[in-house]
This record gives sequence, C-alpha cells and structure tokens, in this order.
Amino acid sequence: MFMARGVIVIVILFAIALAGRLYRAWRARLQDEKPIHPLVPDSLRAGADRTWVVFTSPYCATCGPVEASLRASDPGARVVKVDATREPHLAESFSIRSAPTVLLADVEGNVTARLVGAQAVDDYVRRPPSGVAG
Amino acid sequence: MPAPAPIDPRGPRFNQAVLSVALLTGFLVDWRPVVPLFALVLLAGAALGPKYGPFLVFYAKVIRPRLAPPAEMEDPRPPRFAAAVGVVFLTAGALAFAAGHAGLGWALALMVAALAGLSAATGICVGCEIYLVLARRRPVAG
Repeated sequence: MFMARGVIVIVILFAIALAGRLYRAWRARLQDEKPIHPLVPDSLRAGADRTWVVFTSPYCATCGPVEASLRASDPGARVVKVDATREPHLAESFSIRSAPTVLLADVEGNVTARLVGAQAVDDYVRRPPSGVAG
Repeated sequence: MPAPAPIDPRGPRFNQAVLSVALLTGFLVDWRPVVPLFALVLLAGAALGPKYGPFLVFYAKVIRPRLAPPAEMEDPRPPRFAAAVGVVFLTAGALAFAAGHAGLGWALALMVAALAGLSAATGICVGCEIYLVLARRRPVAG
C-alpha cells in the first residue's frame, strides 16, 4: 500500500514539474513574440503628442503606482487608464496578457513602446531610451 | 470599496508549499487528520485574513525578514479566493472520510495538494485564475 501511494505521489510531483516546464516555455514564447499593434484610437489619445495607455485590472495591486509614476515622470504626456476587464476587445486587440501593461503612443497613434509589468515601467522611467521624451 | 493592501506574493506560495507537502506526506502514511487540519489552516487565512493563517504568519515573522523585498506585490484577493476553494475541497474530503469513503477523501485532498504544489513551484495558481475569470465577468471594485 505504501509503495502504491508512493507511486501516486511521484506521479503528482512529476505532473507538477512537467506543467511548470510547459508553462515556462509558453511564457518564453509569448515574450519572444513581437505583436503587431493596431493604432491607439483617437478616443484615448485626444490629440496628445504622447499618450501612455495603462492597461489595468481590478485585481492589479501595482497599476495605481505605475500610473502615478508615469504621470510624475512625463508630465507633458497624456496618461489614460483602461480596465482590461471592462474593455476586453481593446485589450485583446493589443494582445494584453497581464496587468499592468503600458503602451506609449505617438501623435498618430503608433505604439512606440510596450512595457509589461511594474518593474519594466520602473526601469523605463529611470532610464528612458534616448530619443524618447519623458 | 477600496482595494485591500497588496501583499508579498511569496507568503501565499510558502503557505501552498507547506500545504502540498503536508497533504502528500499525510497521504503517503495514510494520516487522515491532515485533511481537516489543513482545512482549518486554510480557513483561518482565507476567512480572517493573512494575519490569522499560521504559516502566513510564520512566513511574515520568520522568513520574510531574511529575504530581499519582493520585486512586485500582489492583490490578496485572488490567493484568498484560491484558499477558499481549497477549504471547500478539503472540507468535502474530510466529510468523505467521515462517511467512510476514504478513496474519495484522498482524491479531493490530492487535487488540492497537486494544485497547491503547482502554484508553489511554478506560480500557476489555478484558483487565482478562476477568481480572475469571475472578476472579468462581473468586475469587482478595485
């Protein structure tokens, strides 16, 4: 009986390890994909030269600080918050997989930067790429 | 309603690791009291908050001070919901044991052990994902 139970426990542990490997491979593939974004709609940009679109969710603990950080670091830009759970079609069109995901749009609505996660936004705010205002 | 204060996500993962190891060990040696015992442990954290979960408290008081600050904080509601789902499964398992259905009792407990182990080892929290699906259907305040 002990042996049979031991086999079941080993199978469960093996299944956990396998699921972990598959999950990591899936996440790595997602990160490698370069999504082709549509234009950010004018209803979000409202004619601004630069628009930060912060995709949030009701369960996102770091989205508020991310939004505040963008407002503080780039006061000349428009910052809009989009709840991905309330705007699922918009979120899907920009391949939003997690919150916060932040897009930077130029005056024509082209996405010029895509930041996934609070850490990425923090890194960007501290060291914006040359040629990008902020 | 204001969003609850974010938590260190490593706390629930530690809790899930302890839960998984305890349930698998209990199954291995056929020690059935582990199921209702951990139903109560999960219930304390899920119903009353992280301050009342013994292993969450152990993590916060003993382990966390020895670690670097977390890279990110998380909303406590999804892991709390996941713990509540675990409570339901473990309570059903304990009732199955009491009714003489040991196989069903262990099957329910092993489902919890597997999902808790998966979350602890990989960060894939199935209960949290269920919460997110429900939140998308009926957005919660935040």
